[in-house]
Amino acid sequence: MKKLKILLISLIFLLSIVIPSYAASNYVLPYPSFMPGSKIYTLHVLWQKALKFWYFGDFGQFEYNLKEADKYLVEAKTLFEYKQYLLGYNALQKSNTYFKNTLPYLISAKKHGKNILEKEIILREASLKHEEVLIVLIQEVPSQFRWSPEKVSPQDLNIKNLIEESLSLRKNYEKTDL
Amino acid sequence: MKKLIFSLYFFFLLSFGIFSYLFIDPNLIYLSRVYTGFALTNRSLITLGYSLFISSFFVFYLLFLMMLKRNKLSIKEVVTLIFSTTVILLFAYPAMLSYDIFNYIATAKLLFFYHENPYIIMPIEFAGDPLLLFVHAANKTALYGPFWILLTGVPYFLGFGNFLVTLFNFKLFIAIFYLASSWLVYKLSNNIKSVVLFSLNPLVIIESLVSGHNDIVMMVFVLASLYLAKKKLIGIVLYLFSVLIKYSTIFLFPVYVFIVMKKSFSKKIYLYASILMFLIFLLSPLREELYPWYAIWFLPLLYIFTNKGPLVLLTNLLCFGLLLSYLPFMYSGTYFGLTPLIKYLFVSVPVGLTFLFITINKLVWQKSSNRF
Repeated sequence: MKKLKILLISLIFLLSIVIPSYAASNYVLPYPSFMPGSKIYTLHVLWQKALKFWYFGDFGQFEYNLKEADKYLVEAKTLFEYKQYLLGYNALQKSNTYFKNTLPYLISAKKHGKNILEKEIILREASLKHEEVLIVLIQEVPSQFRWSPEKVSPQDLNIKNLIEESLSLRKNYEKTDL
Repeated sequence: MKKLIFSLYFFFLLSFGIFSYLFIDPNLIYLSRVYTGFALTNRSLITLGYSLFISSFFVFYLLFLMMLKRNKLSIKEVVTLIFSTTVILLFAYPAMLSYDIFNYIATAKLLFFYHENPYIIMPIEFAGDPLLLFVHAANKTALYGPFWILLTGVPYFLGFGNFLVTLFNFKLFIAIFYLASSWLVYKLSNNIKSVVLFSLNPLVIIESLVSGHNDIVMMVFVLASLYLAKKKLIGIVLYLFSVLIKYSTIFLFPVYVFIVMKKSFSKKIYLYASILMFLIFLLSPLREELYPWYAIWFLPLLYIFTNKGPLVLLTNLLCFGLLLSYLPFMYSGTYFGLTPLIKYLFVSVPVGLTFLFITINKLVWQKSSNRF
């Protein structure tokens, strides 16, 4: 009986190691889209900007900004993984700008009498997912990077600071209760 | 005799209108006072009642066609019949056979009340909205064209926020297009029989005046564009409006290319147009399923082209079968199991058997005439 107990406990322990644990948030980020350097990247960015007008309304704008924040976060992650720090840095800045825009639209929706309960949950889940990605990123990227392009003065990128800023923005939004 | 038939017909329409209220959705809070739950608890009776109503509808249709053939029905009387049918059935409960009218209202509310894009945001995203209790496609973004959504602003705003007023405004709105289609069929065919065949067809009446489907609106724009085909630009603009209502008329594009290229066109153009729309009708199960109201896509064009012969007989039988195809769900309350199969049998068997009979009859007649 004792042997069986030991066997069972070791089996559970082994399984807990083998079976991977998944992210805390169920929110799904998109696949990486067109990347800078692609011939149609500029066209793609223009199209995305034009879509802003198609996504009218409080909920529409909330969705648009969150979608763009997701897209640029995935873009930043991919670029950082390929050590394209300047491009990744810019993408993360864009992601932050779009992410910042989400909450004001929810506040506006609430003002207009719309029930925002589900959207609040979505924003919270998205914040958590973004944090997961950013926490992994902060460990993988250099805290500072000197970008030295030809014929232009070098530029210091404070990557770690930007990621910390991004994390704090997401954490704030995650905790905000409307 | 004529007076008796007319009186019976009006009485029949009134009864059908009252019968429609047995189908009130249990969640339709606005009509809870007249809700009986009868259709849900007496499925056999309701199925039998509906079959009798549909059969009687076709008997009246046949009677009117016979009266017309014997010159016992004047244009004025046809107009009276069309207007009376419109007025009586305007008050019938619209979600008896389909919930589409609720979807139209939900989409209009999404755009004109919540100021959101119905192609991105779904009605279900407005938690707490009373429409969600009975709108069946709340988890879908807008299914119809932008011109239709813009048009729905008219009945929506005239509802002044009252659901029942809005609901019947939508019915009135569709009814106006039904009347317009009748007038256009007359103008294009120059024949009152085509008008009777189309406007008094039970399928056209039920799907337009009772259920309030927007297919009639789409077809009015096609008919108007054909009527004004000589003024090419107006004709094309009207055709584009039609496409932007429900998209399916995009398949009439070759017809319009022909019209633009030629200075004049013969009546055969209506045959080609109806064939194209009939093909799309047949292909509709690839997208979703063969809904009875899709027949409105080809009916007016066909009746303008011809108002006699086996083609008209087969078409009317198809309409009968399509209206009977509601029976399996009405009886079983499920879309699964044998329901889809029986539905298709209802649609295809009457047409198939008659087609077979006509073909055999023709062959036998040809053989015997060759012998003598």
